[in-house]
Amino acid sequence: MDLKDIKAIIDLMKKNSISEFELERQDFKIKLKRGANGAAGPAIQYEESQGVAYNPAVALPPMSVPAPAVPAPASSEIEIKSPMIGTFYRAPSPEAAHYVEVGTEVGPETVVCIIEAMKVMNEIKAEVKGVITQTLLENAKPVEFGQPLFKLRPT
Amino acid sequence: MTIDTKILSALRTAASNGVGGAELSQELGISRAAVWARIEELRSLGYEIEASPHNGYRLLSVPDVLHADDLLSSLGHMKVIGRDIQVFEETTSTNDVVEKLARDGVKEGVVVFEEAQTKGRGRLGRKWISPPRKGLWFSVLLRPQLSPLAATQITVAAATALFRAIHAHTGLDAEIKWPNDILIRGRKVAGILTELSAEPDKVKHIVLGMGVGVNLVAGDFPPELRKQVTSLRIETGQKQHRAELAVRILEELDRDYACVVAGEFEALADEWEEHCTTLGRRVTIQVGGRRIEGTAESLDADGALLLRTQHGHLERIIGGDVTVEK
Repeated sequence: MDLKDIKAIIDLMKKNSISEFELERQDFKIKLKRGANGAAGPAIQYEESQGVAYNPAVALPPMSVPAPAVPAPASSEIEIKSPMIGTFYRAPSPEAAHYVEVGTEVGPETVVCIIEAMKVMNEIKAEVKGVITQTLLENAKPVEFGQPLFKLRPT
Repeated sequence: MTIDTKILSALRTAASNGVGGAELSQELGISRAAVWARIEELRSLGYEIEASPHNGYRLLSVPDVLHADDLLSSLGHMKVIGRDIQVFEETTSTNDVVEKLARDGVKEGVVVFEEAQTKGRGRLGRKWISPPRKGLWFSVLLRPQLSPLAATQITVAAATALFRAIHAHTGLDAEIKWPNDILIRGRKVAGILTELSAEPDKVKHIVLGMGVGVNLVAGDFPPELRKQVTSLRIETGQKQHRAELAVRILEELDRDYACVVAGEFEALADEWEEHCTTLGRRVTIQVGGRRIEGTAESLDADGALLLRTQHGHLERIIGGDVTVEK
């Protein structure tokens, strides 16, 4: 993949209002993110990943871009994604402790955060049993539909 | 319907004519002595009930208490909301109580009131002032067949219902502050807090919490808040009948909820927009550490606020603390 391909993906993302794009191949992984309203330039993360079996996979955002139909990655980690557009809160109130931290063991019914839209407070549950391995967003930040919030290792 | 609900309902229907003890006894299938015992019990709660050999029992006045049986007797045939009512003297927060009922699998439509909240809360755990018997603080359990994305429709429906009920009960010019505060002369008199529990594709349940400042006086509010909040008593100069207002709100809410469930949200959205005085005003929105200033231009189809910023572009706002410039 060269710069031209990346640019093409960015253009597709802009055209389809897609905020995030992730592609994982044998020797590399690319992750593209756009600002909430497209104002901010795309932040590009590029990682070398080694020892991964050949497993071409594209994590598609909900509004799909034309891309080869390939199976989902057989990854050991799961992303907890936002079911709605809103504001992300890690605690029920500013003084309260966060619902979860990296290392927190969660069950399917464990609340991991709140997403607020128009004073509807949506408690997001882990849905699976596991351990939180990464938090992907700061408190009180806007989130898009389908945006990953946490990474979790199922147990 | 409980016995007390039936008695109060019969007394209300009979009004000044009164209803005979024998009649009540037959209707309820209990002895006249048992009827008398229930009447005595209602009197002890503050219901003024006259008993005369000629007219039977007559309801002269009702106390300023929220009584579940009485609220039920006043509500007509509700589709969903108010099918069951519970009143607590004091709990931490009605939303907490209803959340628990939801997890226990209780059917939708149950309404939980409380006379005083020890931990009344607004958004993000903010304190909500709830002194005993001066307001209406209640939560409703809903289980609509909606996608989580459409849950904001409930917020809009709740705002229009509350607006209509307050306006009808007091005659005051109420206004809606985006998204769902009810203001009078620019001061907050009622608020709504909706808590959603959802699966990725459908709503499991919604706890709709409402707080209305009915008979609070200026001294009930902390000095720093007096310019921002008010009560129906302060605005009308008269003590308001809480139970009557509660019944009115529940009736309006039942109507609006039926609209949302039937997919007839449009009309509510129009009504909401018509009374939303935030539009056209200069507002500041604080979301976390971010501050956005601009003019509230319009609402989009989902009810989000479209703000024209000082740089000229439109920003879609779905949350945060909204301050409207006066």
